[in-house]
Amino acid sequence: MSDGPLIVQSDKTLLLDIDHPLSVECRRAIAPFAELERAPEHMHTYRLTNLGLWNARAAGHDAEMVIDTLIKYSRYAVPHALLIDVAEQMSRYGRLRLEADPIHGLILVTTDTAVLEEVIRAKKIAPLLGVRIDNETVAVHPSQRGAIKQSLLRLGWPAEDFAGYVDGQAHPIELKQDGWKIREYQEHAAEGFWHGGSGVVVLPCGAGKTIVGAAAMAHAQATTLILVTNTVAARQWRDELLKRTSLTEDEIGEYSGSKKEIRPVTIATYQVMTKKKNGVYSHLDLFDSHDWGLIIYDEVHLLPAPIFRFTADIQSRRRLGLTATLVREDGMEGEVFSLIGPKRFDVPWKEIEAQGYIAPAECIEVRVNLTEAERLAYATAEPEERYRYCATTRTKRDVVQELVSLHAKEQILVIGQYLDQLDDLGETLGCPVIQGSTPQKVREELFQSFRTGEISCLVVSKVANFSIDLPEATIAIQVSGAFGSRQEEAQRLGRVLRPKADGRGARFYSVVSRDTIDQDFAQNRQRFLAEQGYSYTIIDADDVFQGKI
Amino acid sequence: MEIRSYADYLRSLDDAALIALFESRSDLTSPVPSDIASLAVRASSIPSLVRAVDSLNKWQLQVLEAAAVLSEPFSEKELLQHTDKSAKFALAALVDRALIYLGHDGYRIPNNLRDVLGNEIAGLGTPAGKKLKLKDLESAPAASKKVLDAMVWGPPRGAVADVKKSNPGLKWLLDEGFVSPVNQQTVVLHREVALHLRGNKVHRELFTTQPELIGRTVEAKSLQLAAISNVTTFLRWIEEVLNFWGQQPPMALKAGGIGVRDLRELSQHLGVDTDCTSFIIEIAYISGLLTIDPDDRVLPTHQFDIWLAQPASVKWENLISAWLITSRLSGLDAAPMGPELDRSTASIIRKKLLSLLDSAENFSPTHESLLAAIQWNLTYRRTRGIPEEYIRWISREAEWLGVTGQGALSTYGQLVLAGDDLAVIDADLPKTVDHILIQSDNTAIAPGPLEHEVSQELDLIADIESRGAATVFRFSEASLRRGLDHGRTGEEILAFLKKTSKTPVPQPLEYLIGDISKKHGKLRVGNASSFIRCEDTALITQIIKDKKVEALGLRRIAPEVLICTHDAHDAMNILRAAGYLPAAEDSQGLLLSGPRIQRAQTKARPPRIVGEFEQPVREILEIAVRTIRTGEKSSAKQSTLRDISQEALGTLPRTTANETLELLTRHLSENPTKSLSIGYADNNGLVSHRIIDPLKISSGSLMARDHATGEVLTFRIPRITGVATL
Repeated sequence: MSDGPLIVQSDKTLLLDIDHPLSVECRRAIAPFAELERAPEHMHTYRLTNLGLWNARAAGHDAEMVIDTLIKYSRYAVPHALLIDVAEQMSRYGRLRLEADPIHGLILVTTDTAVLEEVIRAKKIAPLLGVRIDNETVAVHPSQRGAIKQSLLRLGWPAEDFAGYVDGQAHPIELKQDGWKIREYQEHAAEGFWHGGSGVVVLPCGAGKTIVGAAAMAHAQATTLILVTNTVAARQWRDELLKRTSLTEDEIGEYSGSKKEIRPVTIATYQVMTKKKNGVYSHLDLFDSHDWGLIIYDEVHLLPAPIFRFTADIQSRRRLGLTATLVREDGMEGEVFSLIGPKRFDVPWKEIEAQGYIAPAECIEVRVNLTEAERLAYATAEPEERYRYCATTRTKRDVVQELVSLHAKEQILVIGQYLDQLDDLGETLGCPVIQGSTPQKVREELFQSFRTGEISCLVVSKVANFSIDLPEATIAIQVSGAFGSRQEEAQRLGRVLRPKADGRGARFYSVVSRDTIDQDFAQNRQRFLAEQGYSYTIIDADDVFQGKI
Repeated sequence: MEIRSYADYLRSLDDAALIALFESRSDLTSPVPSDIASLAVRASSIPSLVRAVDSLNKWQLQVLEAAAVLSEPFSEKELLQHTDKSAKFALAALVDRALIYLGHDGYRIPNNLRDVLGNEIAGLGTPAGKKLKLKDLESAPAASKKVLDAMVWGPPRGAVADVKKSNPGLKWLLDEGFVSPVNQQTVVLHREVALHLRGNKVHRELFTTQPELIGRTVEAKSLQLAAISNVTTFLRWIEEVLNFWGQQPPMALKAGGIGVRDLRELSQHLGVDTDCTSFIIEIAYISGLLTIDPDDRVLPTHQFDIWLAQPASVKWENLISAWLITSRLSGLDAAPMGPELDRSTASIIRKKLLSLLDSAENFSPTHESLLAAIQWNLTYRRTRGIPEEYIRWISREAEWLGVTGQGALSTYGQLVLAGDDLAVIDADLPKTVDHILIQSDNTAIAPGPLEHEVSQELDLIADIESRGAATVFRFSEASLRRGLDHGRTGEEILAFLKKTSKTPVPQPLEYLIGDISKKHGKLRVGNASSFIRCEDTALITQIIKDKKVEALGLRRIAPEVLICTHDAHDAMNILRAAGYLPAAEDSQGLLLSGPRIQRAQTKARPPRIVGEFEQPVREILEIAVRTIRTGEKSSAKQSTLRDISQEALGTLPRTTANETLELLTRHLSENPTKSLSIGYADNNGLVSHRIIDPLKISSGSLMARDHATGEVLTFRIPRITGVATL
């Protein structure tokens, strides 16, 4: 029995002991086929999923390599049944192949007639197929390429897609590395994506996902459509691309509520894409307006449903999804993988932090006590009003005020969900408030003066949850949120994770009302970050007032 | 001494030969027969012969079949001619088992053996009973040859539309006497003819040796690893199941055993399929760790607690020894722990399977070759051979248990079979760990098999998220509450975690424990049947101190409120008797006044007993009369018919069964060609008169051709009321 870093559990989870000398080597070895599930301080949990195993096959790894790796690094005897299962699952991949055919367009070919017979008879698949060409071949309508791949995956017979990708209209794009260098992990991520064809890259907030996108564009050398969450993010993408690549202003277009430019590289917002006019998604035509060689989905965990559907139809174009937090409270993570592509790159946040590419952060939960009167009011509040009530309690205001004065010399973001609470805070703290109704121009001005240090404190609503690049912000104070949303918590922490010029660490305060559902939601919200190894410290509001932090 | 009978033969055997016989046929000595004559009766009785035949291997059975086909007495040479030279050894084995014996004039077989072997042994029909010109077969017409080809290797019977209108090919065979009609639609090919056509061999294919095991060699190291992993996993499963059911015992089905729902729930809990789950339950059951208590609850026994405290090797041996001898097969489609899982052959097959695996080191045979080898060794004619799935199930079970690893017998399996000490298991299994690692996401990881006490305690306060060599626990509000419900306090839990965890306990977890233990027990719930309240606290104090109302079991839960174990009605009566003036209150707190006159809900009126029948209407009576008249007419007709046949019977003398048997035997030996007149009772006891041509007597029946139908029928001798020659 070896004394390896890996424990292979019979329920197909792999526990990696990261304090073990071989852990780095082992992580590299298992990364191609196992999915990182949790990365807390001591033991990281990976999981063997069918999808992961098939992706490993697609990337050229075979079952023998997987089994050898497991046995090599395993601390205890590996359950035999698990090894058999791995071999069996991996052998399912590639028995069906999607190929381009000069006569029929797209065909489904098999090496195992029985499998083809099985899938042809499946209710979900039959309507997607065309004529039976011979025993081993059946025609598929090219528009159903995504749908059939998805259905086959669900059936457990993943098809190997040999039909390839369209190159799209060529367009020269180069990375312009003057005075900066692409980081190793960014390069790995871009390469991982490019070799896989399509897929999702998961990187912590502030770790430079835009650069990964730019590197992918440089690989593609083709016209690119970039989908982002909002206009501010769109402008940030444009600025970043101008800075990091050979692209010029004329080559980058913005497709948003205010502008409708279509250029070789077009940045569009989800909002405009999903806008309905007379019951039709009129802007979805953008997908077809150009022979795109690459489509980038920024913050892919927010992908709205109409785009889901449309993405299924463009399976022959390369797709890159970027996110920091691929958790959806609606459980649709699986859909993202099957439509955009599998996870191509994922790395624990703490590892990037250790490399110094994101700022070390301290997470603090401040618990405030409701006053007697507030408790009574909370107890009698209508169930649907309860969270709002305890999240916006007046006591929080004093704590925030105190926290802001304690960090007076730093750049502070106060983030919340409820507008009246934010307005109230803005007034108390004497600082500007950015919310949904704030005009685009004002927003950018405010962000700009925050970046330059003119303003040291900003109160923001959820509009600033994502993609807003505020490098010098070091303190984030969260007063309320969208209930138990895990990704929101992580994204908000992400606002302060950009490495600081002087190497300072960041702080994330979450102000929570004790003994209310606010506290329960907070616990759920913290799960993602806890799983990434961020340990919360809980302090009492009184400690804040006494300056004990 | 001249050997004239089976008993004579047994008498001639020396002690060693008798012991050998008893060894191979152990049923002969339980109980021990009083003398050789009774031994002979037992050894040639059908049940004993069935057992003996069942224990033969395929080759021995073929030789025995060949012997049964030959006419007695037969010589060794004759037998070898009809089989193969190597039959010599099989013959010796059969003689050892007294299934073939050497009489004064040659080899013979015990009386009932042919019946045991069946009607058409090796697919051969009845002998013709007369000399046949077998040479003529060569010049048979092509159509006849086709018929012969179809029947030669059995079954010897063929169905035809009508024997009398048979096709030319068959007609030739019938005319020559090679084939005889059995009844109007069936013909049989005679034994001599078939043997001749088979080239004087009884079987087409001879299975002289056990089929070879085919498979792959397993590397010793990976075999060992697989076995260790199987052993650890299985022990863990058993522990898991019993702990799970110790907390929430399922109810056994009325018919016995575990219901499908409980089985599914458990299989989900374990994360294995239901087949495996059934097996785990069965093993726990047969090794006495799990039982069904008198209240039909399925519960772990005290034995389980003892078992838990033992080292892995003893734990495993406990389970294995029960498995080796059990007759239960969990693969069968029936409730585990239920009454329908026993198969008498299970342990014999298991033993054979393991001994076959033991014969090939580090070798994993394919299922097919293992099946063939076992089926060759254990023929089980009675049940038409061993079902294929039994072998599959037993192989699967051996793998789950770790007796095999990757299909080959593990070192532990070898040790068990040899009855050796298993302590080596303890050394091979991963060392237990006594600590956990708590992480900030409220999980704790035990990086190896956890010590029993620690895991018990953790089970109480955390949910298991992942199982295997290591265990992942998750702390949640519900799991911590469970610990508090079981009497742990927040401080105790924290102290335990601090002691057990190698890493510091994360602050959020500390807070979680604190929060929950602070809230736990704030609300109190209890049972009370009624309450007594009074705004005058002095009166309340007086009542609680009053000895006369002690019977009420009062408890003061607030200055103005008492609760009481009696219901409101009784409490009021007792209070009134003690001189108080209580009044009742409804659920809204309104005063209730007793109703003056009591009323019940209206119900259906009570039933009455009807003494006399009502007079039916005239039409019904008329119909009744018509029915009776019609019935009368038809039974008169029947009795006339009965009288006629009775007359014919009247002339027959009535004989007892013994007399009948004697008459028939004499008739068959003296003038077998003459017809007989008999009276025969049918199933309802109605005696009818038959004219028959007797053919033979066997096992209490007379085979004879009935003149009325022309078919060969079987007449039970006790049912024959009388016999007379025509």
